[in-house]
Amino acid sequence: MGALRAILIRITGTFGGRRRRAAMEEEFRAHLQMDYEENRRRGMSPEEARRMALMNSGGLTMATENVREQSGLPFLETLFHDLRYGWRTLRATPGFTIVAVLTLALGIGANTAIFSVINAVLLSPLPFRDQDRLVQLWETESAPGSYPFAGPDYIDWEVQSKTLEATAAYNYPNAMNASNGADAQPVIGCPVEASFFNVIGVSPMMGRTFTKEENQSAKSRVAVITYGFWQKFYGGSSDVLSKKLTLDGEAYDIIGVMPKALNFPSRTQVYLPKDMTTTGMRTRGQHWFRAIGKLKPGETVASAQAELSTIAANLEKQYPDSNEKVGAKVIALREQITGSSRESLLVLLGAVALVLLVACFNVANLLLARATGRLREIALRGVLGASRWRIIRQLLTESVLLSLMGAMLGLFGAWWCVNLIQNATFLPVPRTNPIALDATVLLFTAVVSVLVGIVFGLAPALQASRLDLGEELKSVAQSVLSPTGWNRRVRDLLVVGEIALSLALLTGAGLLIRSFQKMRAAETGVQAENVLTFATLLPHERYKNTPEQRAFFDQLQDRLSHSPGITGAAVATEIPLEGGNNGYIAIDGDPDPTHTNLLVEHNYVTPGYFAALGIPFIAGRNFSEQDLDYAANATERIIKLNEKDPNEKTPPDIQFTVIVSKKMADTFWPKEDSIGKSYHSPHSTTPYRVIGVVGDVSTWGVRQQSLPQTYHPFTMALGDSRAWGQVVVHSTLPAATLLSTVRNQLRQIDSSLAMIQPRTMQQVISENVQDAAVQTWLLGSFAALALLLAAVGLYSVLSYLVTQRTREIGIRMALGAQQNHVLKLVMGHAGTLTAMGIVAGVIGSLLLTRFLQSLLFGVSGRDPLTLAAVVAVLALVALIACYVPVRRAMKVDPLVALRYE
Amino acid sequence: MGNKTDVWQGTLALMILKTLESMGAQHGYGIARRIEQISGDQLQVNYGTLYPALLKLEQEGYVDSDWGVSDNNRRARYYRLTRAGKQQVKKETRDWEQATAILARFLSPEGPA
Repeated sequence: MGALRAILIRITGTFGGRRRRAAMEEEFRAHLQMDYEENRRRGMSPEEARRMALMNSGGLTMATENVREQSGLPFLETLFHDLRYGWRTLRATPGFTIVAVLTLALGIGANTAIFSVINAVLLSPLPFRDQDRLVQLWETESAPGSYPFAGPDYIDWEVQSKTLEATAAYNYPNAMNASNGADAQPVIGCPVEASFFNVIGVSPMMGRTFTKEENQSAKSRVAVITYGFWQKFYGGSSDVLSKKLTLDGEAYDIIGVMPKALNFPSRTQVYLPKDMTTTGMRTRGQHWFRAIGKLKPGETVASAQAELSTIAANLEKQYPDSNEKVGAKVIALREQITGSSRESLLVLLGAVALVLLVACFNVANLLLARATGRLREIALRGVLGASRWRIIRQLLTESVLLSLMGAMLGLFGAWWCVNLIQNATFLPVPRTNPIALDATVLLFTAVVSVLVGIVFGLAPALQASRLDLGEELKSVAQSVLSPTGWNRRVRDLLVVGEIALSLALLTGAGLLIRSFQKMRAAETGVQAENVLTFATLLPHERYKNTPEQRAFFDQLQDRLSHSPGITGAAVATEIPLEGGNNGYIAIDGDPDPTHTNLLVEHNYVTPGYFAALGIPFIAGRNFSEQDLDYAANATERIIKLNEKDPNEKTPPDIQFTVIVSKKMADTFWPKEDSIGKSYHSPHSTTPYRVIGVVGDVSTWGVRQQSLPQTYHPFTMALGDSRAWGQVVVHSTLPAATLLSTVRNQLRQIDSSLAMIQPRTMQQVISENVQDAAVQTWLLGSFAALALLLAAVGLYSVLSYLVTQRTREIGIRMALGAQQNHVLKLVMGHAGTLTAMGIVAGVIGSLLLTRFLQSLLFGVSGRDPLTLAAVVAVLALVALIACYVPVRRAMKVDPLVALRYE
Repeated sequence: MGNKTDVWQGTLALMILKTLESMGAQHGYGIARRIEQISGDQLQVNYGTLYPALLKLEQEGYVDSDWGVSDNNRRARYYRLTRAGKQQVKKETRDWEQATAILARFLSPEGPA
């Protein structure tokens, strides 16, 4: 207790000692005087009394020093002294300080920004209670991958599982039309089971969440809104719980507001009660929603996996028709959310750390150059009795001060970046945790900057400790600055390191650029120019059945295609690149058994779809009006039959027409003409007859191989409770004009429908490679930064070399050396350093690009072309860095140079 | 310098506390003279050891100081025990007695054989 108190007092005592010193001196004087008077009283002469008193005191200077040491902490005091001294030194050379601080600010700032993302995405726990017990549940099929749930399967898992404390089903978030007065706006809604909020352990900040009963009806019109939606749509008003929200034409009571920290499933704005009735959960053959679960304490992902696999195996036996090959998959929720971005974030962190290392080398280089100028000062301090350790400590304090200054400036940059990233969509990482400069990030920055300060300060400090004082003072006396050979070697080595590291970064960036080019050039199978797409969703209330829904889409297509400037309009359930529905097919008498395990993509389109997107017909014909009518009627018949009895088989007379992709035709009918052939789904005998073959399209993004694809008449997708259509418009009008034309047409037909996600097809493609674009851009900037720093490093070493050898050059020239000799001298040195750097860098690149491989598309990590280009760029930059020093060396005037003597 | 000073300061602290306990508030000079007298002039207390020790006791909260006026009308800083100081005297006295008692057993001729 007393000791702690003493330390605190001593820390504060380190500051402001003037008043204390005055008091102490007065106390000493009083003491001395009393002693003197006492001595006088004993009969001593005044001189003797004074002498005795002084002798008793034991030396006043010593006493003052002792008291001062006790009043503060000597360690802290030295630190402050060193800091003050360092600050003065840095201020004395502003040019050096600015360059060094800027270099470090760039390095540390970039690291802080990237780390703040990593901290939010990979390091922070999910903002859920008991987040380490949360798991994502999936079903599996014979093809690899994870599949969403079928309703009855989910219920069986929920009831039977003993390793899970609770489970919660939720749909994929989807767009809805929210009418808020005049215009309809799209809103992202996510139907969830009541247990959802309990499982993630997040309580509403206002109101309540759903009850189990609300899940047991298809007509529960209650909504829980997110904090963001509350702010955006209701301005954060406190009486929001008394308001109603109109979604797809139906009024919902707002019953709760969730706290700001909740962003799961991502993009969700409104939670609705999931319809968990038997009808609402659909059949075992339809896999369409997701689920999370919470492990009981003591259970693990593995134990839950084992149990759920057993449950799934039993279901397979029980329902062989629907559940054949359907298994279970359990994965920690955290891994589920962050898994996909881990690799690219770690690559970025690695790259940005390399940039920081280059920055360190550069500043070390500058410090070494400056240290040579300070040899005299350091030698003098050594001679005056400063210990070697004391000098090292002083120099390290100075470099840590430098890096802290860099960190401060870097933090500003990082703060700006984080503000930029925070709400931007261009950085495709999960946002379950907000990206922010929080305490962890600040701690990281502090630790990094101190480490950095020590790393780059080490070389000059070591050099100082190697000083031979006698030699140094002698050379100081001669007033000739002579760097030790050690100094020169270390600086050369640092430049070689900088070149090697920037080469490695450049290679990485070069590979990503090449790969990005390949992605942009990749064949998507569509002509993306002059195409606008958006989605519409027809609420059940106003569009109850196939004819009503079809009438709407027909009218929309009709109006659009007759608008001036619009050359084509079509509707489909999916657009290219953004994924879709898939399933298996069966072909009677198919000799190849592997075909039953191949996933086939399904899209439902109107006839204009192929022309609008420029998908070519290879064989056969397009859908006719008769095909659409037939499909509409047949689908309606099936829906009506199923309403009576869900297990009713499709009538045998029904036969649909289908258009397939070239890949589909080549895969399933490799040796014969596919036109006229037919297939059926594994669980039904209804035949689908091929009437046409069209070109392949990338369904799941430009980086994925295109899958076998079928196109069905769009009218088959109608009749469902919520008809969904992706509208594709082809027009040569400017995008903005086209957008307002289309918006007007939509509003004229039905103003309550929102135009969901309007984008040009080119935007769709850009978004598809957005992550690669960001990676390429970031790694490219890091590499450029490193290259710039390396060039500065090379420049400074060469400049220094020229300054050092001005005299030698002068003598050589005086003795008749030609200019090209001088050229050789400087360029030879530059060449050696660059060559060594390049060799080391190429080796490093070959080792490091392994980590990049998974991010690359269509280019090998050892692409010789990229490597050659990078080496060429580096050599060119090195050449430019040489230019000024070489010119200076060539212009050396022998007379002036010799006068240096 | 280290160890010797520590031991010395340790005992000096107790001497100072004991002096203040028996004499009440006292200035540095008075404390020094008193310690020297009691030790039979075997100890000499100079500023360099006395004042840092007083400062340390003050930092630890065992003594408090105020400026006052001495017998012959001179401004001087007076030190006195705080409540924590009084307890500390008891504690340190006990510790010290225990330590000397233990040591005495080692030093006495009839020590454990």
